[in-house]
Amino acid sequence: MHIHAYEKIWLALSIVLILFLLGSVTYGAVGPGVAMVADSEAQIDANALDEDDRFAEPRVEQVGENEYEAYVVAYQFGFDPSPIVVPEDSTVTLQITSRDVIHGFEVAGTNANTMAVPGEVAEVTVEVGEPQEYGIVCNEYCGAGHHGMEGKLHVVTEEEFESEDGGDSE
Amino acid sequence: MSRTETAGAPTDDAGGDEEFDPVGTLALIAVYFAILVLAWVYIYYIEFLGRDLVVVG
Repeated sequence: MHIHAYEKIWLALSIVLILFLLGSVTYGAVGPGVAMVADSEAQIDANALDEDDRFAEPRVEQVGENEYEAYVVAYQFGFDPSPIVVPEDSTVTLQITSRDVIHGFEVAGTNANTMAVPGEVAEVTVEVGEPQEYGIVCNEYCGAGHHGMEGKLHVVTEEEFESEDGGDSE
Repeated sequence: MSRTETAGAPTDDAGGDEEFDPVGTLALIAVYFAILVLAWVYIYYIEFLGRDLVVVG
């Protein structure tokens, strides 16, 4: 079979392009460590969240040096806790579930984005930097009040975080 | 006068490349290729990886 030289060039280019796309995703996983939200967490009873260790009292908890876990419950129509307050320059694992219908959990303008499904726990680990206030939106239509469903993620300085740690309220 | 791949006899096939060189098509594909590569670099490396709160686990 005869293949024109130019045709060989653009066949090769298309293969290069595919390898570049695959290579980029591989680089993302190996270099910056980009991960997907998996279904690795065990199922829970969405009707008995008040008996659950993590979600009876939605909160932020320190689990290691500079490592925090936030247990977040999405409901019609909001997120608990709100705001989620975490210290700057820390690693935060968000565990998110829903107590009623399927919700979305998207930290607006960032890559932290998952579904909140009743009975399932979505686990998202992120590294937060400078003090900043992020908005959280529900991006799955969840009912009449969906458009107003929002939360807050506050990244605060160490001092502010320490001072808030004692008291539960703002 | 145009010719197709099958039209030429095997003996003069080698000369076929010289007669039909679609440089315009080659240039167009090169431009498309460059656009795709630049778009991907922008979308993945700058817009996606450059955003806050990259999910790492």
